[in-house]
Amino acid sequence: MAQQANIGELLSMLDSSFLLILEEITTVFKDNLNSDRGPMLVNSLVDYYLETSSQQALHILSTLQEPHDKHLLDKLNEYMGKAATRLPTLSLLGHVIRRQPSWKHKLSQAPILLSLLKCLKTDTDVVVLTTGVLVLITMLPMIPQSGKQYLHDFFSIFGRLSSWCLKNPGHVAEIYLVHLHASVYALFHRLYGMYPCNFVSFLRSHYSMKENLETFEEVVKPMMEHVRIHPELVTGSKDHELDPRRWKRLETHDVVIECAKISLDPKEASYEDSYYYSVSQPNSRCLQPRQTDPSASPYMDIQSSHGTSTSTPYFASHLSLSQMQRQLPQILSPQSMRLSTEPQQVTIWSPSAICGMSTPPTSPGIVSSESSQTSSQPYSKYFSTPGGKGNPLGTPATSPPPVCISDDFVHVSLPPAAAPPPKKEDKPDPGRPSLSRQQNVINSEKALEVPGNKSSVTLSDLPEFLGYLASDEDSVEKDKEEDAISKEISEITTADAEPVVPRGGFDSPFYRTSESLPASQRKSHSVASSVQGHSLSSELLTSSLDKHGPEGAGDTTKQSFTPIDRPWGASEESPADIREGQSSTDTSILTPSPCKVSAQRRVVFGSGPSPSYEHLFEVALPKTAYLFVSEKTEELLKKAKGNQDEDCTSSTSPMEVLDRLIQQGADAHTKELNKLSLPSKSADWTHFGGSPPSDEIHTLRNQLLLLHNQLLYECFKRQQHALRNRRLLRKVIKATALEEHNAAMKDQLKLQEKDIQSLKLSLQKEQARYHQFQEQHDNIVAQLHSQIRQLQHDREEFYNQSQELQTKLKDCRNMIADLRLELKKANNKVCHTELLLSQVSQKLSNSESVQQQMEFLNRQLLVLGEVNELYLEQLQHKHADTTKEVEMMQSAFRKELEKTKFYIQQQSQRLDASQKRIVELESQLSRKDHLLLEQKKYLEDVKIQARGQLQAVESRYKAQKRITQTFELEILDLYGRLEDSLLKKLEDEKTEAAEAAEERPDCSNEGFADSVAGYSDEAMGRNGETKPVSAQDGGSKDGSSSSKLSTPEKSQNQRGRQFSSLWDAPMSLEPSTNVPLSVGSLPSSKSFLGMKVRELFRNKSESQCDEEGLTINSLSDTLKTELCKDPNMEAKAPPSPDHLSPSPKNQESSVGQLHIMDYNETHHDYS
Amino acid sequence: MAEDSQRNFRSVYYEKVGFRGVEEKKSLEFLLKDDRLDIEKLCTFSQRFPLPSMYRILVWKVLLGIIPPHHESHALVMKYRKEQYRDVYHALQVIRFIKDTTPQIEVFLRMHQLESGTLPRNVSFPLELEDVVFLAIAKAMEEMVEDNTDCYWLVSSFVNQLNNKYKDLLPQLPKFLEQYLNFEDNRLLAHLRACSAFSKLPYTLWFKKCFAGCLPESSLQRVWDKVISGSCKILVFVALEILLTFKMKIMALTNAEKITRFLENIPQDNTDAIVSKAIDLWHKHCGTPVHLV
Repeated sequence: MAQQANIGELLSMLDSSFLLILEEITTVFKDNLNSDRGPMLVNSLVDYYLETSSQQALHILSTLQEPHDKHLLDKLNEYMGKAATRLPTLSLLGHVIRRQPSWKHKLSQAPILLSLLKCLKTDTDVVVLTTGVLVLITMLPMIPQSGKQYLHDFFSIFGRLSSWCLKNPGHVAEIYLVHLHASVYALFHRLYGMYPCNFVSFLRSHYSMKENLETFEEVVKPMMEHVRIHPELVTGSKDHELDPRRWKRLETHDVVIECAKISLDPKEASYEDSYYYSVSQPNSRCLQPRQTDPSASPYMDIQSSHGTSTSTPYFASHLSLSQMQRQLPQILSPQSMRLSTEPQQVTIWSPSAICGMSTPPTSPGIVSSESSQTSSQPYSKYFSTPGGKGNPLGTPATSPPPVCISDDFVHVSLPPAAAPPPKKEDKPDPGRPSLSRQQNVINSEKALEVPGNKSSVTLSDLPEFLGYLASDEDSVEKDKEEDAISKEISEITTADAEPVVPRGGFDSPFYRTSESLPASQRKSHSVASSVQGHSLSSELLTSSLDKHGPEGAGDTTKQSFTPIDRPWGASEESPADIREGQSSTDTSILTPSPCKVSAQRRVVFGSGPSPSYEHLFEVALPKTAYLFVSEKTEELLKKAKGNQDEDCTSSTSPMEVLDRLIQQGADAHTKELNKLSLPSKSADWTHFGGSPPSDEIHTLRNQLLLLHNQLLYECFKRQQHALRNRRLLRKVIKATALEEHNAAMKDQLKLQEKDIQSLKLSLQKEQARYHQFQEQHDNIVAQLHSQIRQLQHDREEFYNQSQELQTKLKDCRNMIADLRLELKKANNKVCHTELLLSQVSQKLSNSESVQQQMEFLNRQLLVLGEVNELYLEQLQHKHADTTKEVEMMQSAFRKELEKTKFYIQQQSQRLDASQKRIVELESQLSRKDHLLLEQKKYLEDVKIQARGQLQAVESRYKAQKRITQTFELEILDLYGRLEDSLLKKLEDEKTEAAEAAEERPDCSNEGFADSVAGYSDEAMGRNGETKPVSAQDGGSKDGSSSSKLSTPEKSQNQRGRQFSSLWDAPMSLEPSTNVPLSVGSLPSSKSFLGMKVRELFRNKSESQCDEEGLTINSLSDTLKTELCKDPNMEAKAPPSPDHLSPSPKNQESSVGQLHIMDYNETHHDYS
Repeated sequence: MAEDSQRNFRSVYYEKVGFRGVEEKKSLEFLLKDDRLDIEKLCTFSQRFPLPSMYRILVWKVLLGIIPPHHESHALVMKYRKEQYRDVYHALQVIRFIKDTTPQIEVFLRMHQLESGTLPRNVSFPLELEDVVFLAIAKAMEEMVEDNTDCYWLVSSFVNQLNNKYKDLLPQLPKFLEQYLNFEDNRLLAHLRACSAFSKLPYTLWFKKCFAGCLPESSLQRVWDKVISGSCKILVFVALEILLTFKMKIMALTNAEKITRFLENIPQDNTDAIVSKAIDLWHKHCGTPVHLV
């Protein structure tokens, strides 16, 4: 709440008159807005504005930033719903929109748009409608693509309003309709420019209906005459023109210019695409695109003359004039051409000089003259036709209208403002001429005079214009011509002075509102005005001329603005005069305002953007651009001057100022009206039969409001144009920069070309040198080649020589070889001959010996021949006997031969037989061999078998032997025991007897026993027992036996005995070794017996040798020889096998074995 | 071998499956059919295979040279052998060394003594070691052979073979035993050595008597087959197998005398297995004797 209160205080302080406070508060508000996001502050601001329409509040609101837009729009929407606050809301919206806030794209989504549309569709208040339409028109280019959803709303609004214009259902004042009409016209342009296809189709559908036909005829058709056919109608489609891509690259001002392009209305249209007009109206494009408009204006005028609507043509024309004040001189120039030729010069030089554009006018003079004629006609028409229609306008607005009109004129139409200065030379009142037109409108009879006036006005315009231009561009020329021009002008003006004055009287009704009594008012007014005008004009003129004179040749930039300062100075005076005049007269309407305005203006101008703007141009722009700008500023200046001079209520400065001025002027006016001389006014009004004052005031206010809106709209348009201009300027700058760049590039190119040339030159030089070197090189090469050739030639010669020499060498070698061969041959021959020689010598010797032989043989031959002869002789003697003998012998030989042959045959047969026999025998032999082998095998087998058996037998025998041994042992044992017992009994006596008794009866037994005893002795010996008795016995037996051996015939017993003794011999020999003589004492060796004994001994010794190895070698050696001599004896020696000692038997068996083994061998013993 | 081709083709499989001795009889018959018996082949056969009992005596006689290889002379030779036996017997009777009541083995001993010429002067002459060995072998042989003559001859020849052919080899057998025992079970050997029982093992019983009296005759026959056919090393393996078989008991015994006593009286129940194992072991260590062609 505190904040609320605070805000209230702040709001109240917002409109403070102190600048410092103002600034502080605005900054406070802005800070608040920046910090606070709530809707409260904005709402209160809006409320405050709607209450007080405070400028500061407006300013703050229109510069609202992003987050607050919604609150603002919501608040506005809220107020829009209420009919009471609708109008101020709309105007606020218009203000805000015209600022082009950064959030403008949100407008299409905002509910306020809808409510605006709804309002436009439904509202019946003209002022609201007009304002709304203007707002809408302003808004449209900002939301081109998003606005399409409301397209039909737009169209329907257009339809409604256009029909409204005609039918005027609300029966509002006509003057409102004019405003409405204008805004509808603007809407028409906008819609047609932005959405041509849709719009045309809408028009087609909407106006094909009968009820709308009239509207079309009356309202829409004239509008259509002011537009060209849109290119989009050809190339585009309904959908395409709604395509967002189309709008994406277009900014707001682009859209505005797009719309202006298709307009043919000079006030609306923009001709950036200059060639359109250069083709259609080349002459019109004299100074710059904008300047071409004048040529267009005639058309518009024509149209307007055709137009049935009363005031629209006016407004249109005025608007166009106000915008294109520059064109006036142009328009008028043709007319002035009749008087002077200078304007032509102006037209000629201007386009090329200023713009440097691509399309210079073709034969401008002729065309311009034509156009001037055409333009003059329209004017006449224009002035004639509106006259009739003008009445309605005049009638309702009895006295106040002039004020309005003048206002209109002041800030809308600049031509009057532009026109006055020249007029001032001869005319006291510069503002009047324009008013005179209105006067003309009122008074149709004066229409005829208007052209004249016009022309005079234009003429009066010219010199000044020319002066400016001349000072700008051709100051020298201008200086020259200036005098002449001034002269001419002066002549003209003086010539026109007379007619003008009365017109000036006409102009005076400018103030007055009554038409019924123009004369009286005119007169009274004219006096004042004339006084005023004179004073003003003289001052202005002098000042301007003075300025142009000295300064024109000098600094052009200064010049353009200096005049402005002066006029201000002058204007300061003039308002005062006017005020005085006004105060003196009844109509002091304008007097107060000029003061304020001038004051304000000074402020604005002092701190205004123009100087800085200008300065920027000066710095930034190239010359062409500067020229362009300077001209513009001049226009502005003139406009300002005109405005100021004429009306003093408006200014040509930035729109805000103007807007504010008008508003405040209006306020002041109303105040004054209210304060001052209400009775007089009322008296006046009542006097003029006007409507009740309150109504009137309301109407006037509304009108003012409308005008204000219109002005704001135009301002907006102007802003867009300015933006456009800036862009174009940038382009121009770019172009010039590029040109300069091009020039620089060209220079570089030239330099490079030069370089190239120099390089080419050096190249040529190098080439030449190269050629030289090449030639030298070629020469050297050629020389070398020739040398080489020569050398080669020499080489070939040498080669040939060497070859020749080689061939010679070869020949020589061949010869040598041949010679050698020959030598060899010769040697061979020599050898051969030597050989031959030796042979020959041998042969010779041979032949000699042969000869000797020959001789010998010859001799023999001779001898033989003689002998032969002798034998022949003998033969001849003995021939008969020999033949018989021979025959006999032959037969004998034959027989003998046969015999032998037979014998041979026999022998061969025998041989065969024997051979057969041999074969047979051989086979038999082999068979026998085989058999023998088998036999051998068999024998072998048998042998083995026998051996096995033998072994068994042998073992048996051994066993037997053992048995016997055992037995013997037993027996001996028994004997031993027996003898022991006997010895004990018989002692010595019976020993011999017993011995003898035993020996005789059992001799064989004894022998056997003897041998056994011997053996047992032996065994016993082994056993360690010795029997000396038996040994003694043996010894005794030996002696006896030796004696018995002498007889060859021996009995079996004897033999046994012998053998047993033999057995005993070894044993006996043992002791006998001591007496070897005993052997030797044996019978002599020569006797048979001795031999036998020896033999026996040998046998025994042999066996003994085997067993005992005793040394009887001497004896055996002697005996061996004898034994060999008589083997048969030995063989027969062993008679009984049973009692043979084992060793002989063994020997025998071994011999047998040998025999068996040596089966194949022949036995020496047996053979 | 000609007879090999006539052998049963299944013989290979018999051997593979583990039936041994199925075909041996046939092949032995083939061998015995030869007129001149091939002693070497018979040796190889009896080393490789156990002899069938019906041919054992014959083969032994042939191998020990009691009868010659020729069939023709068998009858004659046997007649001689019998006569010799009778003669010797008679002689012993005459000298009153034996009587009718004298046990057969003593008769065999006396006969052998007589034949070898070592007959003592008196019957009461104390028996020497050789005689004890002979008696043991004869006793075993008497169980195997019915005929006295054959028995005498076999015993006599067997003893002669031991005394002649294996005279050098027999003393080395304990060494072999130690070697193989070390190879087979050195722990047992270590135990025996630790008990100092190894030198006191019943070597006489094992190697001189050839296990006669130690093993039952049915087992002994198979051992003697190998001994007679020329390999006394089998004795080592039998001893080794006995040791291995009774290893646990031996290990339990720590006294050398106890061990010896136990080994001299080993249980007779599974001697067949011991012999079989011993033969396998023998084959393993000394290699299977190959047929000598």
